[in-house]
Amino acid sequence: MSVYITGIGKISVQPLDQSGSTPQYFETRYARCSDPAFSDFINPMEARRMSTIIKRAIVSTRMALDEAGIDMPGAVITGTGLGCIEDTEKFLTSMINDNEKFLKPTYFIHSTHNTISSQVAIRLKCNGYNNTFVHRGISFELALHDAMLLFMQGKVNNALVGGHDEMTPAYFSLLDRIGYWKKEVVPSSSLHLSSTTGSVAGEGSTSFVLSSQKSASAYARIIDVSTFYYSDAAKDPSEHIEAFLSMHRLKPSDIDLVMTGINGDVNDNNIYYKVLEKTFKDTMAGWYKHLSLEYFTSPAFGLQVSAQCLKSGKIPEHLRLRGSFNGKLDHILLYNHFKNRNHSLVLLSSC
Amino acid sequence: MQEKVVVTGLGIISAIGISTDETVKSLLSGVSGVGRISHLDTIHTEIPCAEVQMSDDELRKSLLVSDDEIITRTSLLGISAVKEAMRYASLNFDRKLRIGLISGTTVGGMEKSEAYYKDFISNDNHKEYIDAHDCGACTEKIADYFKCFGYVSTISTACSSAANAIILGSELIKNDILDVVVAGGTECLTKFHLNGFNTLMILDSRPCRPFDDSRAGLNLGEGAGYLVLESAAVARQRNAEVICTVSGYGNACDAYHQTASSPEGKGAMLAITEALAMASLDPCEIDYINAHGTGTGNNDMSEAQALVTVFGDKLPPFSSTKPFTGHTTSAAGGIESVISILALRHGFLPHNLNFATPMKDLPVVPLTALKHNVSLKHVLSNSFGFGGNNSTLIFSRQ
Repeated sequence: MSVYITGIGKISVQPLDQSGSTPQYFETRYARCSDPAFSDFINPMEARRMSTIIKRAIVSTRMALDEAGIDMPGAVITGTGLGCIEDTEKFLTSMINDNEKFLKPTYFIHSTHNTISSQVAIRLKCNGYNNTFVHRGISFELALHDAMLLFMQGKVNNALVGGHDEMTPAYFSLLDRIGYWKKEVVPSSSLHLSSTTGSVAGEGSTSFVLSSQKSASAYARIIDVSTFYYSDAAKDPSEHIEAFLSMHRLKPSDIDLVMTGINGDVNDNNIYYKVLEKTFKDTMAGWYKHLSLEYFTSPAFGLQVSAQCLKSGKIPEHLRLRGSFNGKLDHILLYNHFKNRNHSLVLLSSC
Repeated sequence: MQEKVVVTGLGIISAIGISTDETVKSLLSGVSGVGRISHLDTIHTEIPCAEVQMSDDELRKSLLVSDDEIITRTSLLGISAVKEAMRYASLNFDRKLRIGLISGTTVGGMEKSEAYYKDFISNDNHKEYIDAHDCGACTEKIADYFKCFGYVSTISTACSSAANAIILGSELIKNDILDVVVAGGTECLTKFHLNGFNTLMILDSRPCRPFDDSRAGLNLGEGAGYLVLESAAVARQRNAEVICTVSGYGNACDAYHQTASSPEGKGAMLAITEALAMASLDPCEIDYINAHGTGTGNNDMSEAQALVTVFGDKLPPFSSTKPFTGHTTSAAGGIESVISILALRHGFLPHNLNFATPMKDLPVVPLTALKHNVSLKHVLSNSFGFGGNNSTLIFSRQ
């Protein structure tokens, strides 16, 4: 079975025009997306009733479908850690402030996590398989894996998979209260060297069209996706990673680039460094969260930049963490973890 | 040849009981769990709901969860049902089994967030509960109670969440990714849901009457329901008793409206048809349908249309058990799968309480009285969610 990424749509904290060779770095604790002109994609009358995350999802989905040249996907699958948190907060706040009186249904209707997949399906009139994964830092990888299962069973020829999260000011400060974010401003370009806990808050909306057919627009092939969980912090994730690779008859040395989820939190970073030291001593390592910043579905951004690398056969300087590039780029392994409890692997190859 | 996926354990907690035994007893005696709100702190005490008859403290005590543990009611209900399901399946963790937990939920930890939100915004008083708010955190609390799960996943497709968890669990077993999966859903009653559904004006001020011409909305409920799924081979190896097989399932999207079903029930029809095709069954081979049947004007008409489209004039006995349990939203697919399988196992057909008058435009008649001593082979359970997330499951006796 082969599954190809044939279309990508992205809205992120990076500038809309990414034609330049250097990306934007940040010196802030919290950044929001550079949004496109939604009116280019959505009728303003409709857009007025939509929350930001829905507008972003609709637009990034449209970009991915257009690039892949597909009108009607076989499935719509979303990963989102927080879902439609903006409308959830609006309904919750007015319910609390007005003591359960004078409430309007609009915010409630759009508060459920599955509103994203539903709104995309309703716009496309897509009656196919539809699902939504909402599991913290592995929400996107679970959605991606769900799509892989559909391909394995031969149920679809293509699927739309997205990772969408918004970081509202209120949720930023809630997570700030419990140590998700750094208290001090650290340049994002040096997050890999940080000695303090916490990351930098971001958000994003990334959509992919996956297809069983390799097309001219194909970026990369997805070989497999795996997630694993430890109730107590993982002692040695390397064990699981090596077992995963050997299941695919690969050795760590067959991996040309390990794309890590290094996010600036010293405890999180150390897990990646330990795995790099133990399993990927001579392998080139990359990173991307200094460009996407951190949110529950940031690994979708990681998949997008990794797919770009495989398509171009190049690894831009700004994605390099360690090691030198010898020109061979067949296999990329995306490795991410959330609090050292949820771990995820996405194995990619060139087409 | 892929191995069959079998069910070896059931666990349930709802307003009609805190175990499979209590649930069967309530279904057989026709006792509804819908009544006055006693645990939820709300101004809307006039709205009937189906609460689990245990406070958080009582749940903590019965599950031996300490008073200082940061845990939400959603997780406590989940633990109760998962615990029963695992005991039912005699799961023994000495073996090197790859075990997963897949849970459906929508409100997650909202019940604590709505109580503490002002503090969350302004001070540190209850900040530990911030990280218990999201859906995934609720699933992990359940997983961490048992400490045997090497795979966790959380699905949120509104009222079909648990059904989709069971579908995913079956797929992971079929593809030999996991050996055993505990799959279902959990949801506790919240002010958020109660007020949300209330603003939509789909809460009945009386006990709900699915498929009745006078139906005027749903009654919210709470609870959890989980199945233990494994491959037939793993069940054989560990001498587990097989209750039934998961013979078919379908997932389709109505793609019509965020909170309304299409008049013709397109998504429902597609999900049912897909499940029947997967199980290689003719519609006439289905012995019982546990309908989604919420009691809202829109759902019941749309679902009935879909049933008539698929089953024609040979509509099998069907009922909605929501007048017993209330609409347990994300847990409904789990709770109603357990009820459907209990019916299959014990040979009874639960009836559709409170039904009196067929719908004028489509006079389908659900089971109006309990049936005993029936031999069932294939049962079908529907779960439909806001946004048109429609899923159907079929369970078959070996």
